[in-house]
Amino acid sequence: MDGIRIESLTKTYRAGQVRALDGVSLEIAPGEVFGIIGPNGAGKTTLLGCLLGFLRPDSGRVSIAGREPDDLAIRAVTGYLPERLTLDRWMTGLDFLAYHHALARLPATGRAAEAQAALARVGLDPDAGRRSIRRYSRGMLQRLGLAQALLGRPRYLFLDEPASGVDPAGVVLFRRLLDYVRAGGTTVVLSSHQLDQVERVCGRVAFVKQGRIEALETLHAGATLARVLRVRGPAGTIGEAVPRAALEQAAQRAGAELREVSPPLARFAVPDDAGAVRLVQALVAAGVPVAEVAPEEGRLERLFLEDGPPGGPA
Amino acid sequence: MNLTLVLATLRQRFTSPLRLFIVLLFGWMPMLPLLLAPRTGFAALGDCYFLALALAAGMIGQDLSSGTLQLLLARPVTRAQYVFSRWGAVAAGTFLITVLQTLVAALIMALRGVPVPWGEAALFLANGALLALGTASVMALLSSLAAGIGDLGLLFLVFISAQVLEKVGMFKSWDWLARGAGELSGALKPELDLAPLLHGGPVAWFAVVSYLSTVTLCLGLAVVVMNRRELSYASSGN
Repeated sequence: MDGIRIESLTKTYRAGQVRALDGVSLEIAPGEVFGIIGPNGAGKTTLLGCLLGFLRPDSGRVSIAGREPDDLAIRAVTGYLPERLTLDRWMTGLDFLAYHHALARLPATGRAAEAQAALARVGLDPDAGRRSIRRYSRGMLQRLGLAQALLGRPRYLFLDEPASGVDPAGVVLFRRLLDYVRAGGTTVVLSSHQLDQVERVCGRVAFVKQGRIEALETLHAGATLARVLRVRGPAGTIGEAVPRAALEQAAQRAGAELREVSPPLARFAVPDDAGAVRLVQALVAAGVPVAEVAPEEGRLERLFLEDGPPGGPA
Repeated sequence: MNLTLVLATLRQRFTSPLRLFIVLLFGWMPMLPLLLAPRTGFAALGDCYFLALALAAGMIGQDLSSGTLQLLLARPVTRAQYVFSRWGAVAAGTFLITVLQTLVAALIMALRGVPVPWGEAALFLANGALLALGTASVMALLSSLAAGIGDLGLLFLVFISAQVLEKVGMFKSWDWLARGAGELSGALKPELDLAPLLHGGPVAWFAVVSYLSTVTLCLGLAVVVMNRRELSYASSGN
C-alpha cells in the first residue's frame, strides 16, 4: 500500500507520566487529504512527529508506503510545514528554497527557476525572494514555508497549522494549493485548529482527544456549500402552506441547496455570507414568511462543542 | 557528508557579523607580533584553537534551539550525515582561515626581507588542519548535548573540572586522578604535532592513537546523541 498506516501507536513523555498518544490506529489512503483536529495538547503534533520519524513511539508502528517514516526514500518524497516555523533567517527567500531543493535531492538543473516558480506559487514576488528572511513578516514566512514544503511536488505532505498567521487572501491561496497537490495525487495530512478550512479541504478528519481518536468523520472535500442555515417560519407555513417545491425553487434561485424540511423548519446549505443573504432575499421574494434564520454549527465544530461525540473512541 | 549542508554551514558561519568579528580578531591579531618581529616565523601565529571554537560554537545546538533542525531532517539527510557535515564545515572553515593566515604571514616575512621557511609553513598548516578537525569533533559532541551555544559553557565546565581534579590529584598524590584529569583536559584540545616528521623522525604512536581515538569517539558519540534525540517540540511541551 502506498498510503500511511498507523498501528496501535502509543507515545508517552516524562518517563510514562504523560500519555500523548494512546493506541492510535489509522489508515490513510494514497491521495487522500486527511485532517487531524482536536483541542490543545490532544496529541496532534505528537502524531505528526511520529509520522515524520522525529519521535520514537513507545509501542506501535507507523509505515509509509510500507517503509519506516525516517526511510530516506520516503523523506525524498515528503514535504513538511511545521507549526512553529523557524527558517534559516540569514538566507534570502530564494536561497532558502534552493537550499531545500538541493537537500531534497532534486536535480540541480533548473534549480533557480524552480525556486522562483515555488515563490510565485505562494504569491511572493521575486523582490521578496531576494530579501533576507530576517525581514519577512509572519504571513510571508508561512508562505515561504509552504513553498518549501511543496518543492518537487512531494508524494506525502504533512502540514501543521499551515494557514496560521496568513491573511484571508493567503487562506484562499492555501486552499488552491491544496487542490493543486491533491490533483497530483499527493497524500496530505493536515493538522489544524481552523475547522472551516479543514472541513473545506479534507476528505476525512480524525478528532483527537487525550491521545485517542475519538471520531473519524468523512467529509465532502472541496464542498462549495459549506454553511448550513436553519430557517424557521410561523406554525403552519414552512413544509405546510409553503410546500417543499417552493422552498427548493427559492433555494435554486439563490444558489443554495435545500437539505431538509421539518415543519416549521427548513435547512439550507449556502456557500458563504453573501449566499445566506441571497437565500433570505429569495425566500422573502417567494412569499415565505421567515421568522428566524440561524447558522448551524459545522460537523467538526459539533465535535468540539459536544466535548467529543457520544459512543467513546472510534 | 552532505555537500549542500557543508556549504550552507560555511555560509552561515561566515555571514554572522559577530562570529565574523571574532574570527577576524583571532585570525588577524597574531599578525601583529609577526609584523614587529618577522624572524619569529609561523610560531608567532600560535594555533587555530580559538578560531575553531569561534566557528564551531552552536554548530548543532543552535539548530536544536531554533527549531530549524526539524525542517532539515524532514529531508533525505541522515542524522549522521548532518553531524559529519557540520564537523567537516567547521574544520574546513578553520583550515581555510589558517591557509589565509599562512599566506599573509609569508607575505609579511617576504616584504620584511626575511626568507620564508616553507617547511615550517607546511607544518603549521598540517598541525592546524589536525587541530581544526580535532576541535570540531569535540565541539560536535558538546553541541549535540547542549542547545544554543551551550557547548561553549560545557567546554568551559569540563575544562575547569579537569583542572580542579588534576590539582586535587596532585595535592593528594593520587596519580590516577591527576593523570585522568590531565587526559580529560587534553582531550578538549585534540592535537597532533607533526614536527618530528620535519626533522626526519617518527610521530609517537601513542599520540597518533590518542588523537584518532578522541576524534572518533567524539564524532561517534555525537551521532549516537543525535540519533537518540527526539525532535518534535511536542516532546518538550509535554
